[in-house]
Amino acid sequence: MKCFSFKDNRIRLLLRLLAALLFLLPVVWMLAASLHPRGVPLPQALRLLPEQITLANYGRIWQLVPLTRFALNSLLVAATAVPLTLLISSWAGYAMALLPHPSQRRLLLLSLALLMVPSIALWSTRFFVYKTLGWTDSLLALIAPAWMGTSPFYVLMFYRAFRRIPAALYDAARLDGAGVLQTWGLVALPLARPTAVGVALLSTIFYWGDFLSPLLYLSSERRYTLPIALQILQQMDRSDWPLLMAAGVVATTLPVVLFLLLQPYFARMGRE
Amino acid sequence: MNKVRPLSYHNRLRLLLLPYLVGVLVLVIIPALLSFSLAFFRYDALSPPRWVGTLNFILVYTDELFALSVQNAAALVLLPVPLRVMGAFLLARLLLRNGHFLAWFRAAIYLPSIIPPAAYALAWLWILNPLFGPVNLLLRSAGLSAPAWFADPLWARPGLILMSLWQIGEGFLVCLAALQDIPPSLEDAARVDGANGRQLFRYITLPLMAPILLLLSFRDAILTFQESLATVLLTTGGGPYYSTYTLPLFIYEQGFDLFSFGTASAALWVMYLLTGLIVLLLYVIARQWQIGITDEVFLL
Repeated sequence: MKCFSFKDNRIRLLLRLLAALLFLLPVVWMLAASLHPRGVPLPQALRLLPEQITLANYGRIWQLVPLTRFALNSLLVAATAVPLTLLISSWAGYAMALLPHPSQRRLLLLSLALLMVPSIALWSTRFFVYKTLGWTDSLLALIAPAWMGTSPFYVLMFYRAFRRIPAALYDAARLDGAGVLQTWGLVALPLARPTAVGVALLSTIFYWGDFLSPLLYLSSERRYTLPIALQILQQMDRSDWPLLMAAGVVATTLPVVLFLLLQPYFARMGRE
Repeated sequence: MNKVRPLSYHNRLRLLLLPYLVGVLVLVIIPALLSFSLAFFRYDALSPPRWVGTLNFILVYTDELFALSVQNAAALVLLPVPLRVMGAFLLARLLLRNGHFLAWFRAAIYLPSIIPPAAYALAWLWILNPLFGPVNLLLRSAGLSAPAWFADPLWARPGLILMSLWQIGEGFLVCLAALQDIPPSLEDAARVDGANGRQLFRYITLPLMAPILLLLSFRDAILTFQESLATVLLTTGGGPYYSTYTLPLFIYEQGFDLFSFGTASAALWVMYLLTGLIVLLLYVIARQWQIGITDEVFLL
């Protein structure tokens, strides 16, 4: 059924283009500033790219901080925490979706109440917990949130996805003799793949960009992660904008690449 | 036999919940109970805690900075949250149906949201830089006066709100998914009955989306209220002249700068109550609208 005329389509395309460009601006500006040569005065007039373009700022970061080590630490944290998050939050969401009504309601209320706990309430006292477990000054302290699925919000996302799958499918799997784990892995999870991809992406972004946990729980420099590198560079020279923007671009690269790799997936999601 | 089987099935389901519940107990419930009970003690992390009753609450209540921080935090929630949720919803609608480069447009909207907070804060310190920042160069070339943003007590808050408007990817995705979940047969049926685009939006899309939009506002309000700390710390540090000094920053400074964990906890109680109020307010509004949502739907 066609409800838009040709002209409407063109206007819509134009609006879409404008919105997309608007949202690209911060990244474009960050990239452009990172190409500005050191020592050359910053321009006083608006231009998309600096007059002279250089990649030297990217090299300078490595001379100032051990960036490779920081990036590897960040990578290790994300690579451990994200699969764990997927497993634990989808299990919890699955159990919630299939349990009888009273338990479902209790678990929902619990998860929503947990969402309301300010993370600031947990910083200082989580430190004592990590100390008891021997996790302070270790990457384990950064991975720790994965043990609860990172956020009750992810559990709720899975809960919502699993509840939308017709109950008849679960019943059929059960009648065919599939156990709880089999039904979760072979029936529920494949059908909730968009949610799983979403949770994986969101949690990767969270762990990769986590700024406060390393600040609070780490003390040895060799365990620092990428966001701390940005803070160190900022403390070295607040006005070296090209360098700071280059560091920002480096920290942003992995999430962007990952996101673009998953892009075909989102595109398919749109057509379904 | 028939009575035994479903029981064990449910217990096996509960087993899958176990890691989550244990994690929540160790990582949220125990630390939260500890820090909330600290409100009744004098504690500086060096000497053992000492019972002081409600003294911390009185200290917090009489602190001028505390009242200011609550006002600032409220202002930084009330204005941006509706803007962010409506923005996410409108963009999701704009980018819902097929068209050229649809996937790329969607990716562009989401892009700012995947920038790590530390890098995002740095980027906006540059973008809103009073002298060289692209926004001010743009304003000047348009002949407008360029504010000093984070250096000006009047403009620091608008600056923070502005930078929050670009990170709405999560809400955008949620709206997109929810809009796609609306069965096309519903819209087709309404069209057959002669509904136009506006009526479709008013009577089909909006009622079906209302619970999602509410949930988003609820989540966004809480997140903006509680988690704004990293952004504020990295950009304005609460200044200039305390214009962006928010409640989380008050708590952070009491605890981590002054080592007065008791008053920090007392302020935390206030923050928790205010968060509860936000949720209650949203719930009451939802009820008032009578958009056909039951408790059940409100809880997802």
